[in-house]
Amino acid sequence: MSPLLQATVYGLLQGCMFGLVAVGFSLVWGVMNIVNLAHGAFVVLGAYVAFEVHRLLGLDPFLGMVPAALALFVLGYAVQRYLINLVVNAPIFITLLLTFGLQLLLVNGLILGFTADYRSIPTAYAARSLVLPGDLRVPLGRLLAAAVAVGLTIALGYLMRRTRTGMAILATGMDRGAARLMGIKARHVYALTFGIAAALAGAAGAAVAGVSTFSPADAGRFTLFSFVAAVLGGLGNTAGALLGGVVLGLAEGIGGQLLPGTLVNAVAFAVLVVVLAIRPQGIAGRAFYAARVET
Amino acid sequence: MTLSARNLSRRFGGLTALAGVDLDLAPGRLLGVIGPNGAGKSTLINLLTGHVKPTTGRVLVDGRDLTGARPWRIAHAGVARTFQIVKPFRGMTVVDNVIVAVLFGTGQAVRAGTRAARQSALEVLDRVGLADRAGANPAELSVADAHRLELAKALALRPRVLLLDEVLAGLRPAEIGPALALIDRLRADGLALLMVEHVVRAIAAVSDEVLVLHHGEVLTRGTAGDVLADERVIAAYLGARYAARSRAASEVPHE
Amino acid sequence: MRRLMPWAAGLLALVAGFVLQTQLYTGQERTVSTILMFVGLAAAWNLIGGYTGYASFGQVGFFGLGGYTTVVVMVHAHLSFWLALPVAAVVAGVFAAAVGWPLLRLRGHYFAVATLGVAEGLREVVTNLPGVTGGGAGITIPTVGPAAPTPWLGNDGFYVLFLLLAAGVVGVAALIATTPAGYALRAIHQDEEAAGAMGVNTTVAKTLAFAVSAALTGAIGAAYAFQQVTIFPERLFDVDITVLMVVMVVLGGSGTVAGPILGAVAVGAASEWLRQHLAVGHTLVLGALIILAVILLPQGFTSYVSSRQYSLLENVRRYRL
Repeated sequence: MSPLLQATVYGLLQGCMFGLVAVGFSLVWGVMNIVNLAHGAFVVLGAYVAFEVHRLLGLDPFLGMVPAALALFVLGYAVQRYLINLVVNAPIFITLLLTFGLQLLLVNGLILGFTADYRSIPTAYAARSLVLPGDLRVPLGRLLAAAVAVGLTIALGYLMRRTRTGMAILATGMDRGAARLMGIKARHVYALTFGIAAALAGAAGAAVAGVSTFSPADAGRFTLFSFVAAVLGGLGNTAGALLGGVVLGLAEGIGGQLLPGTLVNAVAFAVLVVVLAIRPQGIAGRAFYAARVET
Repeated sequence: MTLSARNLSRRFGGLTALAGVDLDLAPGRLLGVIGPNGAGKSTLINLLTGHVKPTTGRVLVDGRDLTGARPWRIAHAGVARTFQIVKPFRGMTVVDNVIVAVLFGTGQAVRAGTRAARQSALEVLDRVGLADRAGANPAELSVADAHRLELAKALALRPRVLLLDEVLAGLRPAEIGPALALIDRLRADGLALLMVEHVVRAIAAVSDEVLVLHHGEVLTRGTAGDVLADERVIAAYLGARYAARSRAASEVPHE
Repeated sequence: MRRLMPWAAGLLALVAGFVLQTQLYTGQERTVSTILMFVGLAAAWNLIGGYTGYASFGQVGFFGLGGYTTVVVMVHAHLSFWLALPVAAVVAGVFAAAVGWPLLRLRGHYFAVATLGVAEGLREVVTNLPGVTGGGAGITIPTVGPAAPTPWLGNDGFYVLFLLLAAGVVGVAALIATTPAGYALRAIHQDEEAAGAMGVNTTVAKTLAFAVSAALTGAIGAAYAFQQVTIFPERLFDVDITVLMVVMVVLGGSGTVAGPILGAVAVGAASEWLRQHLAVGHTLVLGALIILAVILLPQGFTSYVSSRQYSLLENVRRYRL
């Protein structure tokens, strides 16, 4: 069986998971112009929540997504409401530093609590594969994770476009002052948005725990891949972030076949830089905020 | 020294901000540009000064084609502008704002250094009447003084063409007279001037020629008197009903 | 006369640095060397991040590039360190100019993320060229015996080197601040569009600031690499180094000459103290301190002092949503 085709399948499935991680990150950046350097830490935290819930209650990791999402929602809401909201009007690198400090805090806290060992949640079905014609193997666990990722992204899109809460979030993202004048509580909406993003990250983390290994050291990698996927897909564009994640997953999977060692990561960054230089609004999106000098 | 535009257009996606505009500026003459909001007046200035690239058309300075050149090259060619929403450097004092223009405005190597530049800057501030506020922070200036600072920054470039974007906006009626007197002095000094303005009586007072923009196109052009009595112009600003009324009233001499 | 005062103060500080060296034990000397290294790094970052307002989050890329260039040149070409140092600076500067050509068209978060990507990309490239750079296993400079192009400078020697480098960077920063270049950069920071309209060639100005900042950072990286003798990509391209630089400048006061020095000394001392007294969990405490400091003192110490507005809560009120 062609290893390239197999790599493409893996890449697609992995890409959906990257996409789920990136969707929340893109939402926060698009609506609040906040780049959350601690996003990857949220993912890892979600993985540990699922891990503990499995350890204590024997809960399947995919069901463990629910407590992970809930716990991360509460954390995300609190962090935005009582920490990040304090510096929203300061120059951008202040928020970058704040979220970086948060990442240091969370990652090192996890290392202290759980050690840096790699862990996972083995399940009976996750390792089994669907075998397609051509001897193509599709691991069930990853397939389920990808399906959940797509489903959650669609659900988020529905939330944003068809519910009052979603529209309040979009409105606040477009014009905070005007939204406030219409009675929208910006502090609460921001916290809500961040909470939702954290919840999505937590759910993604639980899925990661179910299909592969994780450790606090992965946090930075998740954050960086969220950047690339979000930029590729266009900021604030949730479907675009999923698409960006898929592209990244494919690039990683196929690149891993063609390039030596970990050089494939350098390719991801090269893609990021090139995209930012040529088309900062991403492959699919329109920029919410003017990022380029006009002249 | 002239600045000319030929068939200047700018499209933003589906929106045509400016279409097929021709104009010529000559030393000692002032071209007024009027038109309702959204007519493309600021876009015109942005196109002439390189802040936005035209979709079609050419901008010529002294015969040199400077279409699409970067703003600083156009500044070095002797074309200066003010911004409609004033853009002072808020972290620097008033005189420091002007020093930036003195140091970099003429495109020659910065030989004289900051001490000499400060001297020139103070002279320019004196010319616009801001000498006593040299050490102030721009955020503390009144509206009239903020516009003066914008003008000082433009004049510090030693320009031969000056594009003014609504410099009278926000001024009290009593402040308009001195402002117009200053502009008249600049014209007498030989500058070629273009003035985008909403205050119609100001345009009438100082323009040699007036251009009317509407929906990005030139509606009409001529002397101030002709243009302001033109029915189409009144219709553009106030609607057809008032145009008819004005036609009826045109027998009565205006002030 | 007044204009010479800051220079006199700087000279005094330099002399004090030399005097201090005679009073320190070896362990303390290494700590102060590290702090001096960060003074240089912070002052260099300030050129592009503080004066010009382009917050580069990939500065460590130039640090690592300088370090690796030095090691590669010393190991493979057997050149003396004193030749390798300027080569490293030039390489870093030229690389920055090349990469700055597309990147400096970006603003805000986009620029920060793009530079971060460049730094990470450099790390990956270095890791994947084991023939040249030793890859993940690291590479060692010979420092003793006939194979050594330059004998190791010793703790005393490196102290002096970092002190001189820090003084050099601060000197360059001070020079830029008081000359027309400083006006150009500050104008770009405040309002790039207006600066362009006033004749500032913003492209050249930004690129020069970026390149000079990178070259100085590369030079410091070269010194660090020589001091460490054996270097690894994870250390030379560690994102934490960039973040420390930025925190130091922000807390000390960006856009000033004294700010980065104060910030580097304060944060550097705190970081070293934590590292020595809280072997476990010092990074965690550092993270918490960064959060606190950024909330209470976002405009930096020098602005805090010069505004004469001493209420920290007022800071919070100013920037909160």
